[in-house]
Amino acid sequence: MRLTGLAILGLVVVVFLALFAIIYGIQRSSGGNLPGSFEGLAEEGSTTGTTRDLWSLDEIVFDSVPQILDPSNRGWPRTIRGIGGPVVISKKPERIITASVGHDELTLALVPAHRLVGVGQVSKNPLYSNISDRVQDITIITRDPEVILKQNPDIVVTSPFLDREIVNALSNVGLTVVTTALTTDLRSQINNILLLGYIYGEENRALSLAREIQSRYQDVSETIKQIPIDLRPRVAVLTSYSDKIWTAGTGSTEGAIIDLAGGVNVAAEAGIVSNNTISVESVIAMSPEVIIIPMPNPQAVNLKNRLLANPVLGSVPAIKSSRVFPVSSTYFTTLSFWNILGIEQLAALLWPNDYQNYTAKGFSLP
Amino acid sequence: MSEMTANASSIRSGVSVRLLSGMGILATLLVVAALISLTMGPVEISVLNVTSILLSNVGLDLIPFTVSEELIVEELRLPRILVGAIVGMALGVAGTTMQAVFRNPMAEPGIIGVSAGGAVGAVLSITFGLNDLFFLALPLFAFIGSMGSALLVYGIALMGGYFSISTLLLAGVAVSAFLAAIVSLVIVLVPNNEGLREILFWLAGGLDSRSWEHVQISFPIILSGCLVIVGMSRELNLLMLGNDDARSLGVRIALVRPVLIIISALITGVAVAVSGTIAFVGLVVPHTLRLVFGPDHRVLLPMSAVGGALFLVLADTMARMIAQPAEIRVGIVTAFFGAPFFVGLLILNRKHTGVL
Repeated sequence: MRLTGLAILGLVVVVFLALFAIIYGIQRSSGGNLPGSFEGLAEEGSTTGTTRDLWSLDEIVFDSVPQILDPSNRGWPRTIRGIGGPVVISKKPERIITASVGHDELTLALVPAHRLVGVGQVSKNPLYSNISDRVQDITIITRDPEVILKQNPDIVVTSPFLDREIVNALSNVGLTVVTTALTTDLRSQINNILLLGYIYGEENRALSLAREIQSRYQDVSETIKQIPIDLRPRVAVLTSYSDKIWTAGTGSTEGAIIDLAGGVNVAAEAGIVSNNTISVESVIAMSPEVIIIPMPNPQAVNLKNRLLANPVLGSVPAIKSSRVFPVSSTYFTTLSFWNILGIEQLAALLWPNDYQNYTAKGFSLP
Repeated sequence: MSEMTANASSIRSGVSVRLLSGMGILATLLVVAALISLTMGPVEISVLNVTSILLSNVGLDLIPFTVSEELIVEELRLPRILVGAIVGMALGVAGTTMQAVFRNPMAEPGIIGVSAGGAVGAVLSITFGLNDLFFLALPLFAFIGSMGSALLVYGIALMGGYFSISTLLLAGVAVSAFLAAIVSLVIVLVPNNEGLREILFWLAGGLDSRSWEHVQISFPIILSGCLVIVGMSRELNLLMLGNDDARSLGVRIALVRPVLIIISALITGVAVAVSGTIAFVGLVVPHTLRLVFGPDHRVLLPMSAVGGALFLVLADTMARMIAQPAEIRVGIVTAFFGAPFFVGLLILNRKHTGVL
């Protein structure tokens, strides 16, 4: 054998073994578990804590929306602060384009449909959009600035996911572009309703909708707020695409809904951030008592049957008790007030005694 | 004559010693790595329990274990490790073969478009939901893509009635680029984020959710292919001398070379089908082992098989554990280690040979 090659081979093996030893050492020093692994976090009993933030919501007023620079100004022009900085809106927008599903849903709750002149293609897909039936006749816009400009909009409202270059291109030709974030926490959702209402000049409608949403959140919170965290059901969100299993951890829409419905998100507890793939073994380690599947049918039912039929998952409490529930995907994956329907749906599953005869109710849309 | 016979016998015994000692070392390391990997995962299962579970299959009862532990070890971890070893074996052997056939140290298993073809099959399957048709749809379409691409490249190299290595290489580059463009186009057009992430995950290579079905479809084909290639070690040694010398020493190049290329493409295609595109195994492993065991393919090929298996089992274990409970793709780990290692090899080779 050649010594140089042997040395190289030995070095490779030593490097691998050293890395394993480091991982093992970290595992041992953190009480037998890797940081973020299951048992360690379960002992801490941690949750995301968003449930507790909900109960102290202030009275809904435009003054509480930080992006509205002068809430007392109900005339035009008016200035708001978007993600890219202050934006002046010179007149009440009559031709609105939105570039995200969440913004589409918010906008259609605040303005009549004829004022929305362009939506993204995803908004027309009933698998992902709660308003697909209302936007079928609206022009599809793409990421091409020319397609957007062709609709002659007064304003474009979008999320941070639209490329900065496209926003700049639209702004350079004199178009008013507002970029606002859509988040999962209640306070931000209420603020987004008020902010968009202010942008569109529909303040009364925004106040009405915001109070309607808050009222429904409070109905759910009244049901669960007395229940200690350690008595709350351990819930896992599982979806499947191709042969992978996905879950939703901290910072995900589904995770926020679990918190607000009074459950404990086991994926967040295990250290998973956002939506991520996991192994079957991780599902076993997470040990959920309830599994929800926010997918359209028949995929949701197929996944439920696969999970229930998998002998490897036989020790999982949710599988043992058959508490595996397909739920509406659009309520759980959108980033708008429609999440309240997801919260109510999940609360009815987690607390059936308090939600007997539950049926989903809609909103007072224009 | 007797001196020549003695020399030949001495060479053969030297080969045997290297082969046996090398196989002993690598096989031992592989078994140890596999056992360590079996004990690692989100669910804590002790070494004793893992050992007890394995031994229970041969009628030996050490300590009690739960049904859940047994299922995790035997239905989740073990098939995954086995698929990793099988894929590593295929990529190691195919890489060694390609480097010999093309007499090019940069040659790797995907050089004739196998990986790119597999990627196209897989992304089309993911995008159009063909995976919902039946359980093994994704590997099947990936395999069809792999073999289709390899046959296309080989067909181009055969055009004009005679086979050209340089044409094969160039056709492989061109076809791979074309197929990569198709993959990029599909990525742009894929209608949902889950599909997009699924495609990107597949392109990075991974062994998650491998089952005994994946072992069953990959092991016979890959093992058979590897055995055929190992049986042609002498021919591979002679091919390294050049076409004229090989021909004069009795190698039927017109038969041997296409057989080697096709079988390499076949085992690579099966590997890509069950694991996605995993880079650098076919480069790192043969070159490392060549430095240790020499260029004799009678030793190098079996070493590459076991060495490839060992490398991928270690890489997959690291991919599983480093970002637990999430997993990173094993292709990321192999590239992360493989690329700097390969640069080091290039530098070492330059110092050694003085060749640019």
